[in-house]
Amino acid sequence: MAMEEKNKIGVYICHCGSNISDYVDVEKVREEVAKIKHVSISKTTMFACADATQNEIVQDIQENDLDAIVVASCSPKLHLDTFKNVAERAGLNPYNYVQINIREQCSWAHSDKPVQATEKAIQLVKSGIARVGYSEALIKTKISAENVVVVIGAGVSGMRSAIELADLGSYVYLIEREYFVGGRVSQWGELFTTNETGKEIISRLYHKLMEYKNITLFTGAEIISSTGTVGNFDIQVKIRPRYIKPGCKVDPEKLQKVIDACPVEIPDVFNFNLTTCKAIYKNFESEFPEIPAIDPDHCTRCGECEKLCDDIDLGQQDEFVNIKAGAILINTGYDPYEPKTGEFGYKEIENVITLPQLKRLIELSGEELIYKNKKIQNIGYIYCVGSRQKDGENKYCSRYCCTSTIYTSIVIKNKYKNIHNYHFDKSIRTYGKLELLYREASENGDVFLQFWDEDPPVVSRNGNGTVVSIKDMLTNGKELEVDCDLVVLVTGMVPRQDNKIADILKAPIGRDKFFNEIHPKLRPVETVIDGVLISGACQGPKNISESLKSSLSAASKANSLVKKGEIELKPTIAFIDKNACVWCDECMKACPFDAIIKVQSNGKDVAEIVEAKCKGGGMCLPVCPENAINLKGYTDNEMEAMITALAD
Amino acid sequence: MANRTPKILVFSTEKISDPAIDLAGLLKLHYPPIVYTVEVPCSSAVKSKWILHAFDQGFDGVFIAADGTDCSYDESCTEKTAQIISQTHELMKEKGIPPEKLKMAAICSVCAESFVKQMNGFADQLSEQ
Amino acid sequence: MEQQNELSFDTLVIGGGIAGSEAAINLANLNYKVILVEKDLSLGGKMIHLSKVFPTLDCAACITTPKVSETIRHPNITIYTYSEVKNIVKVSEKKFTATLVKKPRYVNEDLCTGCQECEDKCPVVVKDQFQYDLVGRKAVYVPFSIANPRVVNIDIENCILCGLCEKVCPVDAIDFTQEDVEIPLTVKSVIIATGFELFDPTQILRYGFGKFKNVVTAMQMERQLVPTRPYNSVLRPKDGKMPDNIAYILCTGSRDETVGNPICSQICCMYSVKQAQLLLGALPMADVSIYCMDIRAFGKGFCEFYQQAVGMGVEFHKGRVAKITEKENGNLILRYEDIEEGKIKEVEHDLVVLSIGVLPNPDAKLLFDSPVIESDEFNYVKQTDELLCPPDTNIKGVFVAGTSSGPMDIPDSILSAGAASACSANYIRN
Repeated sequence: MAMEEKNKIGVYICHCGSNISDYVDVEKVREEVAKIKHVSISKTTMFACADATQNEIVQDIQENDLDAIVVASCSPKLHLDTFKNVAERAGLNPYNYVQINIREQCSWAHSDKPVQATEKAIQLVKSGIARVGYSEALIKTKISAENVVVVIGAGVSGMRSAIELADLGSYVYLIEREYFVGGRVSQWGELFTTNETGKEIISRLYHKLMEYKNITLFTGAEIISSTGTVGNFDIQVKIRPRYIKPGCKVDPEKLQKVIDACPVEIPDVFNFNLTTCKAIYKNFESEFPEIPAIDPDHCTRCGECEKLCDDIDLGQQDEFVNIKAGAILINTGYDPYEPKTGEFGYKEIENVITLPQLKRLIELSGEELIYKNKKIQNIGYIYCVGSRQKDGENKYCSRYCCTSTIYTSIVIKNKYKNIHNYHFDKSIRTYGKLELLYREASENGDVFLQFWDEDPPVVSRNGNGTVVSIKDMLTNGKELEVDCDLVVLVTGMVPRQDNKIADILKAPIGRDKFFNEIHPKLRPVETVIDGVLISGACQGPKNISESLKSSLSAASKANSLVKKGEIELKPTIAFIDKNACVWCDECMKACPFDAIIKVQSNGKDVAEIVEAKCKGGGMCLPVCPENAINLKGYTDNEMEAMITALAD
Repeated sequence: MANRTPKILVFSTEKISDPAIDLAGLLKLHYPPIVYTVEVPCSSAVKSKWILHAFDQGFDGVFIAADGTDCSYDESCTEKTAQIISQTHELMKEKGIPPEKLKMAAICSVCAESFVKQMNGFADQLSEQ
Repeated sequence: MEQQNELSFDTLVIGGGIAGSEAAINLANLNYKVILVEKDLSLGGKMIHLSKVFPTLDCAACITTPKVSETIRHPNITIYTYSEVKNIVKVSEKKFTATLVKKPRYVNEDLCTGCQECEDKCPVVVKDQFQYDLVGRKAVYVPFSIANPRVVNIDIENCILCGLCEKVCPVDAIDFTQEDVEIPLTVKSVIIATGFELFDPTQILRYGFGKFKNVVTAMQMERQLVPTRPYNSVLRPKDGKMPDNIAYILCTGSRDETVGNPICSQICCMYSVKQAQLLLGALPMADVSIYCMDIRAFGKGFCEFYQQAVGMGVEFHKGRVAKITEKENGNLILRYEDIEEGKIKEVEHDLVVLSIGVLPNPDAKLLFDSPVIESDEFNYVKQTDELLCPPDTNIKGVFVAGTSSGPMDIPDSILSAGAASACSANYIRN
């Protein structure tokens, strides 16, 4: 079944500036491949991707009536589409073009061995020519796409994405695991750089959100499964009961009575365990949605609350909702790093707390800053706890914490009297305009001390007090001791500890364990899974403004994917040689997408591919005992021609 | 086969292991230049026929850089790829090709170092034979 | 002056750097008609001139050129290079008028093939601004090798009107009769992506830039490190010797009240760390020292990238350089306080690179007639709802992308451009 071979192949070998040509003798590669019979044009080029070269290729194809082209340059992940477009512009079917990677997988990988790298490049290009000889002109198929986007996480970033998507005309399901929206930002007081409070920000977003008919918000909800692909995800959501009737009109006095009646007392995670709360709770009065919730994990179903309030219904059950969506936007945020017991005295010395705890402490305090019944005057901040670790796993910088700490220290200074702030840092990273906050703190009289990587400060008890000792870089290594009433560990951002969603969506995780984008500059909010996008701090540490930029960006990307109602699919799908097929059902069993069915053909049962369902994974290929299945773009002819050329 | 550098054919996958091999290049992590990569959509799409063809044509080793649990097509990818390996091992036996010339390992999309380690190890192993 | 008929579009994007291109492509993909105006001769902004970019070290041109190509080819995008916008007036919601001024290249862009025969014959040589004055160029010239559009331009200031170019041009594209063309514009929304300017280090007399030949800016070093670099090697300007002991002075013109720029430029630490790594690759025998107050490696993968530089042997000294003096052989003596040791030190280097900071582009302010666009205290375009809608400005329907609103690295500029395009689409739609 050999297909018609190509007679006029154009081959382009890229210098990539010097990225390739420093190690691979590109002219030699060109000379070698020019000898191949069907190669009618062979050229080297400084930048194959430059517009001028693209136009030159278009011109070559048209003037010489080329029937296929091979471009040997960088990874196809960067420029496959670029050159497919070039072929298309020249009127050549884009599947009659093959990209060969002689940069990442040749010149760079073998920069230590330029001679062998050149030999390898020659064979790689030859294999591309061999492959394109059998390539088939393919036509793209289209599938319908739901103009529906599921946004996971209703923190500041997720809510903002939802609003943007709704504005752009997509239907949005906003899914929040907690019973209330707002995520981390709802826990914070005043925020840099606008001095708005977290609560104000969240309430602005929530009220805006409620104006939209094309947004459905689920709280206490989690995605439990997701199947399908871009355009057509089938998502199952589990909504846990809130045990409060939806129509409840909250009467604050009555709510307080009910809360008082609840016998279950548990650490309040909203306040990072600084306080306790009951199984029925609402973190603050204006929290959204307006009605309280009962934590099913801690509620003993004693029924005390039900006796006091008709709106409580402990009989509520889990609900399940199925959603069909075109795209998914992950906005699940971060967790604060939780220091280990004993890390800078954490959980061993009573007045050592974390930065998030300090922020809650300010919110819970009145006119004076009091912790464990002691009025606070001297505060020591130890930076980079859980970030920039020398020995630990978290090598990254958490980006927001320097500014957040300095801003908090300014807030404290403005709010309370006689506070002394001591910053034990590893060099302050208040980048950009945020530098002004650093200056303000210095002008406030805050003391900045700096430690070496290998010589972190030590927190110890000293009689009734606590002392932080440091060898200070800024005073030329002087050993200093500072008495502190409160030691604040500036804890960084870590990925969500409960990150089941990554497994459910098969979304990629990077070296730092945050979600990973395809490319930080080319495709910063997309993942390798088509239709699954990421934004906000789940992709890496960010402050609010930065998170919002990425969530707006991701919203418009997601919308542009699904708004047209159809998505073009790659035509590289499986096809069956019905003469050879004897219907044994092995292929059907191997296909994860139910894309193979049994049909009658010439009086016998044979397999058939449902084109709209086939994703071109190729699992059906190796299981066929008759070798009756091929994958377009990866046919036996193409693969074996490549292998032969490489083995040569 | 002394003194002859062995040639290795790698089947990589478009979304998972090939990016790792790219990353190895980007980080200038060196591995033997006799490693040639052919990309497929998924590691459970590799036909025994192609592997045997590679041995026929003179490759000394074939390595499937599998999707593992990262596969975006199917959760059972690893099992399916392993199935291909054992099926091919049978066919290799018939032809008298030692089974250790065909290997697989899951290479995640950022597993550049592990890929390089695998390649160096495999090349050493093949040149000892 | 020539007048042309009014043009009408959905969105006017001002600035064709990476942020402007990204915003234009996003909007065009959402099916909006975009006009992109670039004041320079080529699209690509500052990024197209860079070597490799941190922290991935992929080549800047490999990211910029395809983006530029995509912008140029997009059916929904109309591009004017070497053109400026003025007199923007908001008439009503979703109606802005403006004047587009197309400056004369003295070359017919549609005819020119970029063959550069004219450039070959031109007798005038002046400093090449696109190579940051490291080398010369002709008075008729293609701006740089990967410029887009790749057509020549006549630098009329320096042209001696000898007419040689006109004679040799095979397609008769030279046209000395061109003058400014003004085109009235109507659009529904505006995106400001006018980018940033670089700090001029001649302001800091004690560093001797402009006087001491072997004191260069980081942008000049960047040009020596790109694949299309002028000398095909890294050389020091005074005598063409390969440097082997290079110093970087961070925060040149940033975090410095004395030059009126107290803020941090956000990118210099990382581009210096990057250049240091590239230099160690280009000049394996060289030593590279970085003099800094702090290293602000805060973005995704940055800290790891900084550690990589430490591992490669780049030396970091904590301290601000007070003064540079030049020796007869062109080497430079740096006087600085070594903070870690608490001593004043003097060290000799054979090349000094000033890591110059980012300054606002004052153009942004001049674009608008009414209402006036508000700036922040540093002269960047003011973001009026920084936390919830970062692209918003004081004028509804005008959005800001990239470094027009403050110092930013490339990934952040691209994200902010994405955000600006989303807000612009929204504004037009609702």
